[in-house]
Amino acid sequence: MSTSIVRPSEASDLPFRERFARWRRRHREPIEAWLILTPILLYYSTFFIFPVVANIFVSFSRWAGVYDRPSWVGLGNYRAYLKSPYPLTLFNTVFFTIVILALQTTVAFFIAVLLNEQVFGRGLYRALWYIPTLTSAAITAQVFFVFISPYAGVLNAVLEALKRPVVIWTLEPGWMRFFVVGFSVWRGVGTPVVLFLAALQGIHPEIYEAAMVDGADYWRLLRYITVPLLRPMVIFILITGTIAGFQIFETVMLMTAGGQYSVASSGGPRNMTNVLLLQIYKDAFVSQNLGRAAAGSTIAGLILLWFTTTNMRIMGRGQVEKA
Amino acid sequence: MRRHVSAGRIAIYVILIGGSLVMAFPMAYALVGSFCDLGQFYARPWFPIPTKPDFTNYRLMFTAEFTATVDIWRWIGNTLVRIGWYTLITGTIAVLAGYVFSKLRFRGRETVFMYLLSSMMIPGIVFLIPTYIMMARFPGVGGNDMSGRGGHGFVDSWPALLITGWVNVYYVFLFRQTFRSIPDDFEEAARVDGATTLRCLKDVYLPMLKPTLTVLVIFQFVTFWNDYQWPLIVSSGNRDIWTLALGFQRMLLTGAQIKGFASTGAVDYPFTFAMAVVATTPLIVLFLSLQSYFVEGVQGFAIKG
Repeated sequence: MSTSIVRPSEASDLPFRERFARWRRRHREPIEAWLILTPILLYYSTFFIFPVVANIFVSFSRWAGVYDRPSWVGLGNYRAYLKSPYPLTLFNTVFFTIVILALQTTVAFFIAVLLNEQVFGRGLYRALWYIPTLTSAAITAQVFFVFISPYAGVLNAVLEALKRPVVIWTLEPGWMRFFVVGFSVWRGVGTPVVLFLAALQGIHPEIYEAAMVDGADYWRLLRYITVPLLRPMVIFILITGTIAGFQIFETVMLMTAGGQYSVASSGGPRNMTNVLLLQIYKDAFVSQNLGRAAAGSTIAGLILLWFTTTNMRIMGRGQVEKA
Repeated sequence: MRRHVSAGRIAIYVILIGGSLVMAFPMAYALVGSFCDLGQFYARPWFPIPTKPDFTNYRLMFTAEFTATVDIWRWIGNTLVRIGWYTLITGTIAVLAGYVFSKLRFRGRETVFMYLLSSMMIPGIVFLIPTYIMMARFPGVGGNDMSGRGGHGFVDSWPALLITGWVNVYYVFLFRQTFRSIPDDFEEAARVDGATTLRCLKDVYLPMLKPTLTVLVIFQFVTFWNDYQWPLIVSSGNRDIWTLALGFQRMLLTGAQIKGFASTGAVDYPFTFAMAVVATTPLIVLFLSLQSYFVEGVQGFAIKG
């Protein structure tokens, strides 16, 4: 045998090496997969799964600032959510989410339908509608504040020029809500426009032609062909829009802080524009109450989880109906 | 759809042009206003067109006196570092994971994929507080002992801005879809020639991934150019590592004060506009030059839904 000239120690592991090489060749795909996945999964578990689990534990504790020793308070932090101002922040969050999303989706739908007509300069309109989405909310919210600033803001300057009494906008809850909604729609409408337009361009013209042969007019085409075909896209926009809307933060914080950088006063007047995430931020970094903040995060997470799963079930049912 | 009578077409253009003007108004307003001095601005605040463009607001950003406190160039540099890093790390992970989940067969593939997807169901708020605590109590760094006490951990230092959020499941999904659209024949042909997996990824797949990689780069650019919330939470105390959005937001008023309006209490709006223009222009240029990739990216995120 040729192996007889090899020294014993090598002779014993040569077959092993050979076997290992064969094993490696045979299982190349799983080996490579796990070599790549193991570090990713370790990182993912540390920075994505662990925080979620930790957040639940933190929410059951009193934890005054990061360097404090947490103590168990059971449901105390959650019970606080029944007291002012928490119900109001929850209401405001839901209110903003629904109003912004409804306006944004409706406007985006009709703009996309118009853009889908053979219009001249479609790219330019699409660009103008999408560019606000690219801007930083932190910076554009401040630019918007220039308009509503009570101290020589643009709106008041206009009112003065028209010889009307000036309004301290930041003290008017109705107006502040209106401004937050307006700004958010302005910044958020671009994505649904692009999405609707893409979906509309995916509809075969033959479908419309067939319906027109049957004598359908423009509104009927829109109602009975376009809208049903866009249903999956509408659901997608509503789900992602709700998740994003629930986390509205920078806009409210910077538009309602009275032009100064003071988190404590933001969300005003009298918490009328305060939202969940802003309250969580205030709890954690102004009041140093991390347990309370974590409870808010858990509540928000549960609401969104419930919302997403419910929607997916409805969506699934829709598909069954179609089949 | 069918051709309409001209009245309908006119209505379409009226709505489109009117709507587009409304959308463009704030930005056009800020752009035009940034070339005004205060007198010109308040002469006609609803649309302040300067009689003679005034570049003072922009020139100020280059002066030493100004950058001593409002160091916008450093903030832009910090932001670019983050953009580069997060494009690289998130892109690498997304390409590798996308390859694993589309081209390799192994037991537990779907389970692991679902495990990764699970975080898509959880809103970002939930990560905020615990991740902040992890940064502040990171053992053995920033004066912390091994139980994470005594110092500030990673808070107010660079690692806090770089070690979170590497895995972005949306991009993993996007790359998985892209890999799936590429037939296996290419890889098999390369393997016959003796190519390893890394070589296949580099020489066979990477050229074909270019459109998806472009989508990744531009969306990471926009995301981290505008990133405000996380830098606000972990780097507020150290203005040397502030990012663009945080620094600009914090300094909009200070900048105006340096210009000399602190005592009057008036805010120098044209100056605020100039900073907003500087912060926004790169994104608009990026968008206009790569518009089709933006559209593709937005659609890509929708198709996964």
